[in-house]
Amino acid sequence: MSTTANPTIDLGAGHHDHAHDHDHDHHTLTGWRRWVYATNHKDIGTLYLWFSFAMFITGGLMALGIRAELFTPGLQFWQPEFFNQLTTLHGVIMVFGAIMPAFTGLANWMLPLMLGAPDMAFARMNNWSFWLLPPAALLLIISLFVPGGAAAGGWTLYPPLSLQFGMGMDLAIFAIHLLGISSIMGSINIITTILNMRAPGMTLMKMPMFAWTALITNYLLVAVAPVLAGAVTMLLTDRHFGTHFFKAVGGGDPVLFQHIFWFFGHPEVYIMALPAFGVVSQIIPTFARKPLFGYHSMVYATASIAILSFMVWAHHMFSVGMPATAQLFFMFMTMLIAVPTGVKVFNWIATMWQGSMSFETPMLFAVGFVCLFTVGGFSGLVLSIAPVDTQMHDTYYVVAHFHYVLVAGALFSLFGAVYYWLPKWTGNMYSERAGKFHFWWSMVWFNVTFFPMHFLGLAGMPRRIPDYPLQFTDFNAIASVGAFCFGLGQLFFLYNVIHTIRGGVGKAPANPWDSPTLEWEVPSPAPHHTWETPPDEALVKKGLAAQALE
Amino acid sequence: MTAATLALTQQRANRRLAIKLAVVAALMVGFAYGMVPFYNVFCEALGVDRARPELADTHAAAMRVEFDSNVAAGLPARLTALEPVTAGRAGGLIKAKFRLENLSDAPLGIRAVPSYAPERAGRFLQKLECFCFNALTLAPRETREVTVVLLVEADMPPELGAVTLSYMLYPLEENPHGEGKA
Ligand code: HEM
Ligand SMILES: [Cu+2]
Repeated sequence: MSTTANPTIDLGAGHHDHAHDHDHDHHTLTGWRRWVYATNHKDIGTLYLWFSFAMFITGGLMALGIRAELFTPGLQFWQPEFFNQLTTLHGVIMVFGAIMPAFTGLANWMLPLMLGAPDMAFARMNNWSFWLLPPAALLLIISLFVPGGAAAGGWTLYPPLSLQFGMGMDLAIFAIHLLGISSIMGSINIITTILNMRAPGMTLMKMPMFAWTALITNYLLVAVAPVLAGAVTMLLTDRHFGTHFFKAVGGGDPVLFQHIFWFFGHPEVYIMALPAFGVVSQIIPTFARKPLFGYHSMVYATASIAILSFMVWAHHMFSVGMPATAQLFFMFMTMLIAVPTGVKVFNWIATMWQGSMSFETPMLFAVGFVCLFTVGGFSGLVLSIAPVDTQMHDTYYVVAHFHYVLVAGALFSLFGAVYYWLPKWTGNMYSERAGKFHFWWSMVWFNVTFFPMHFLGLAGMPRRIPDYPLQFTDFNAIASVGAFCFGLGQLFFLYNVIHTIRGGVGKAPANPWDSPTLEWEVPSPAPHHTWETPPDEALVKKGLAAQALE
Repeated sequence: MTAATLALTQQRANRRLAIKLAVVAALMVGFAYGMVPFYNVFCEALGVDRARPELADTHAAAMRVEFDSNVAAGLPARLTALEPVTAGRAGGLIKAKFRLENLSDAPLGIRAVPSYAPERAGRFLQKLECFCFNALTLAPRETREVTVVLLVEADMPPELGAVTLSYMLYPLEENPHGEGKA
């Protein structure tokens, strides 16, 4: 059981710190020191989450820069060079700065609580993995202001363009190195915590799904983050040290970069999707008041998705001139990946089936996730057909596809997770009315923004262009209006969270959702130190029985 | 075990696992570099058209040559370009090999008729030696390697870029063009 009773854990800037905890290295740390020297998994989780929110706003402003330019044809605000820098930085920042750190932050905050561990396995390394992120973000922002501007070849950094840019590209490469090192350290920490530090009685096949998806995601990261690091290092040496990996002049081949990048890149999209699956698999059973349907098949489906994700990468390259046999192989493997994904969707639906459902904000986001992620999965299936993709590649159809899986998928699951666990984090309830408003607002404007992009893509509008022919005007105008409204709604989300931290709605009980997982057994707000002695087996078994796992 | 020794064994186990994972990460950097030679081997084995240094060199005009092969309807023969795409520089030579097969159990007389697309490229791509110069007789089930040697004329206009050289196999007796116009 939990031992300390520290009244509040400060989610804010740390200006009023109740550091009464009898902690070995913390009781002297107040103010900024608490955060800079943080080794506590909750503090680090909080840092990750705030960092990723800041990056979400930064990347979001860039997206609005893109949508403003595309509101009408012609060049209004930016020169094409700067427009391309916006699309590139938007992608890099959202993927590596917003979505990935948010999930690492969630894992940090929740895994020890859910598994009954006192902290993450490597507290000091944890500090390092976080504090590499702000310098990386800084490098990316600074790169906007160097001669030649930021990298502008898209988040995929394809040569030959990425060999031709100025030093903005070098800064992006260093930033990616830092982000990669941070990810690998974070992954090692998470895997070790899950494998070695579970409470007695919680075997692997009885862990919460969120822990399973975290485990598999972080194995993927250990495997592919180094591949990306290798790829950008090759770019760097091609640029400055005379190698010819991707330079045709010296016998290299730019297409090789695409193979290496997507060997990382496709698993990467699942690195952003699997933890979302995990979050939704916690939320849906809670609000359907039924155990997760098909727990075992969920685990196997997650593992098969992870394994298959190494064998589909060239579906991003159907138009580079691969032999037909290779196209067929990647096409069929890609279609195959939809099977375990479908298993998951059906399991979520079966969990809700005949449940006594209620629709608090976390559940709304989870159900919204299931609906919209499936739309993204279907457009993915369309794109997986090689002859179709030859038409659709690099059009707005692809942009629509990946925003359905990343915004309505990964991001919605994160919103759901925040509302779900905010009472545990802050000890306060959030405003249900405000949460519901945030959900419906996001739901509507998300679709207004991204659904028309399917039509634009089918009609042939290429992605990554600052200007377009007149016939695309209407759908672009609609998408731009949607984007600005969607963005506005996220400021409301920030207000919601701050209002909750301040206790504007009142105290939260220890287990507001009546959920059987272990994190709800500690008081709200979760004290600075929890599970210093592991939860006793009877408690663990009680929770597992309620999840039909015992 | 006391709590202290338990914590110690836990710490050791954690460290061992972390080291293993770090080794995996290091090996995966190696894997990324390993993809480079693998890619080259793979492309060569599959005859995949790769970016070519000859083509990237903007100083000497380069010409990319693609080979296409066809067989007249009903003719039991097969012609396969061993390297379907190649490239040469103005003033240089291109040597290409084809595999010619008789798929029937009888001797087969054939002639290969070349054509260029775009047609004007033919002027800048001279055949010094070609299996299409003469009629060929293949023994039953014979497989033979045949060659063509091309000279890219020095005055080849750089904007020409690429040309397709297509061969059509005809049976000897119904050769529609009479003598091959090499
Ligand atoms: C049923 C599952 C899925 C299938 C069959 C699928 C298929 C595809 C295909 C074929 C493409 C290439 C389109 C092109 O560039 O022409 C693509 C692009 C993309 N997909 Fe998916 N996908 C699936 C799920 C996901 C998920 C879960 C995510 C992320 C959470 C995702 C993120 C992306 C991204 C980011 C791109 C665009 C990358 C870029 O070119 O910048 N996809 N998908
Ligand atoms: Cu993919």
